Amino acid sequence: MIHLDDNLMLTDDGAVMCAHCQTRLGENSHEPLAHAVRRERPSRDAGPGVHADPKTFTTREIVLRQLFCPGCSTVLATEIVPRDEPSFRHWSLGAKA
Amino acid sequence: MPLIHVAGSEKFVFEERASDELCAIASKFVPLHTVDAAAELAIDPLTYEVIRHRLSAITDDMGDALKRMSGSVVVTDCNDFNAAIADEAGDLILVGQYNMQLAASLDMAIKWTLEHRSENPGLRPGDMFFCNDPWIGGGLHQNDASVFAPLFYDGELFAWSGAVCHQVDLGGVSPGSWSVAGTDVFWESTPVPPVKIVENGTLRPDIEDMYLRRSRVPKLIALDLRAKLGANNVAQQRLTQLIDKYGPRVVKAVMKKMMHDAEHRLRSKLRSLPDGTWGAVAHQDGARAGDSNIYKIVLQMTKHGDKLTFDFTGTDAQVEGFVNCTFAGVRGGIMPIILTMLCNDIPWAPGGIYRCVEIISERGTINNCTFPAGIGKASVASAWATQNAVSECVAQMVGTHPQHRKAAMSCCQGTWDLALLAGVDQRGAPFVTMLCDPMAGGLGARVDQDGVDTGGQMPIPMGRIADVEINEFSFPMLYLWRREEMDSGGPGRYRGGLGGSSCFVPHDSPLHGVHLVVSAPGKALPLAPGLAGGYPSATSYDVLMRGTNVQQMLAQGFIPGDLDEIDGRHEVLPSHVETNMAANDVYFTHWQGGGGYGDPLRRDPHEVALDVASFRVSPRAASDVYGVMLKTDGTPDAGATEARRRDLRRDRIGAGAA
Ligand SMILES: [Zn+2]
Repeated sequence: MIHLDDNLMLTDDGAVMCAHCQTRLGENSHEPLAHAVRRERPSRDAGPGVHADPKTFTTREIVLRQLFCPGCSTVLATEIVPRDEPSFRHWSLGAKA
Repeated sequence: MPLIHVAGSEKFVFEERASDELCAIASKFVPLHTVDAAAELAIDPLTYEVIRHRLSAITDDMGDALKRMSGSVVVTDCNDFNAAIADEAGDLILVGQYNMQLAASLDMAIKWTLEHRSENPGLRPGDMFFCNDPWIGGGLHQNDASVFAPLFYDGELFAWSGAVCHQVDLGGVSPGSWSVAGTDVFWESTPVPPVKIVENGTLRPDIEDMYLRRSRVPKLIALDLRAKLGANNVAQQRLTQLIDKYGPRVVKAVMKKMMHDAEHRLRSKLRSLPDGTWGAVAHQDGARAGDSNIYKIVLQMTKHGDKLTFDFTGTDAQVEGFVNCTFAGVRGGIMPIILTMLCNDIPWAPGGIYRCVEIISERGTINNCTFPAGIGKASVASAWATQNAVSECVAQMVGTHPQHRKAAMSCCQGTWDLALLAGVDQRGAPFVTMLCDPMAGGLGARVDQDGVDTGGQMPIPMGRIADVEINEFSFPMLYLWRREEMDSGGPGRYRGGLGGSSCFVPHDSPLHGVHLVVSAPGKALPLAPGLAGGYPSATSYDVLMRGTNVQQMLAQGFIPGDLDEIDGRHEVLPSHVETNMAANDVYFTHWQGGGGYGDPLRRDPHEVALDVASFRVSPRAASDVYGVMLKTDGTPDAGATEARRRDLRRDRIGAGAA
């Protein structure tokens, strides 16, 4: 068992599990968050730190994109990005898939 | 006009070569001092440590000399400079703890000089070279002007010293050389490839004149040039004394061993970390004034065995604007993060560390651009963004290790919020300066603690800000405040360090105002992401208030503490703009903090209460982001907090989940 970060553990059988509620989030470390719940909201829902409406500066839609544990709702990943872009923040362990 | 390739510009590109190959080219024209592997094996540990620390002290002395001689607040008070020592092949043995972005590309310029200048004009004792061509190296944009010198001992080229600092103005369309309206490099300061500026110990006036002629503040630039010559003189003198004492074979063997040690220790640390691939993206909103697009740098970092590969495939093409960076910027984005996050217990010898690193980057992209793409803001634009992406990947990798995870840090201050002032100062003299207050950026949160509020920046361990009074004394400005900003640190179980803000008015200029250049992405979206679900820092936020009543308020003895207290026209500034400030205009600049770590709903409610009490977090963020409800005495209400967090968790994966 390896702690990957504050929320994720790698089990001895190679699955990725929530460290808080033991929900299996991915069956292997190449798709570690396959079972996580993905949600997008307007970027200003991230809180008062997002000062101005992104429309003031850009025509592209900006979203708060998050992944959550389906078992305990812990947020596993957070990014604020243009909505039309895929997430580039994927990772995998072991030799390149 | 679109970016059209300039035939002949290929010559001015750093080509990576093995050091042996480069030495074979240069040694046809200049004798090089080398040692065999046996010399390294023969050094006893005590001598090694004594000489290693002496070399480190010499690098510090170079920095001291530069700082004491410079007349630029950017250097004297904010430490935007660095110094380095390299071996005969230009491989860096040591970089100072100042701006490591600058020193991480000095080897490129030295190596280019060895290849292209050894024959003509030749390398001789008492020579020094000047360079501010980022395609060649020595800095990340033209304002990073470097001076480097071969050190000869017994007639052989033994080593190199080098110093580089940010120059406040080297010409170009806009003051400070930050040409926000520019579309290509011809709007900017003309890059100068390596030229012999000191010959046989004498500064060449013809070369100096050619250099200074381009600046709006040539006297200041002349002083900084001498500061860099001084730093190299200090290095040359001290290194010669060191070789006199221990002999060239021993000193050179120590230099080689320093690089080998750094390499071996980094390889060993890498082997202790899991193999894997980590992806990141770093954005920039706007490449020039009036541009509302968003650009991306994409990184896939792979760790396999004892090697790190940084693959930037998928990064956007170079753009018309001034935010591109050259290959020096890619290196400048990688090396500072490796040094601070992976080499916290390993000697900072980049020459050895680079041997563990492979970079895959396509020419013609925004962080590996070709001539004549605009690079006036490269250091704090695409190089900085590169660093954000590298920081995110390295931190995730390091974060998997039971011990090394403590060195992992979320991204620090996602961008530099540039405010450039120019005009006539209170003494009637022309001035240009970059306001370096954003040097007090927020550090990212760690795996077990909050990020340091206004703690600085990852690439400049010794960065600092000038006292408010020094800025007011030096430039025609009067501060209304400079402070840490509430909610600027990325929320998380551990909160990112706060960024800050400065608010000022023009003051005491005979022109009754100042010219202002603003360049700060991170307004459409925050640029310092968090880790492990942690939120990014706040966005940048710059406001210019026109025609205010601030002078009447000051005359009545009242200093406003918030923009809401001031009457006037409120302009939220775009990422890049150039304008003038009149005497009654107020400028507010708010730079970013660091990213958070972990889920903010898992932050200790007592910590949130302390944050609210100390104005680090607003009551709104406490409730909406951290789910912490406070009693009237400011302490957490346990029952209400539990209920609030339950509601927020339900909301997270309820309606709208995809
Ligand atoms: Zn869970």
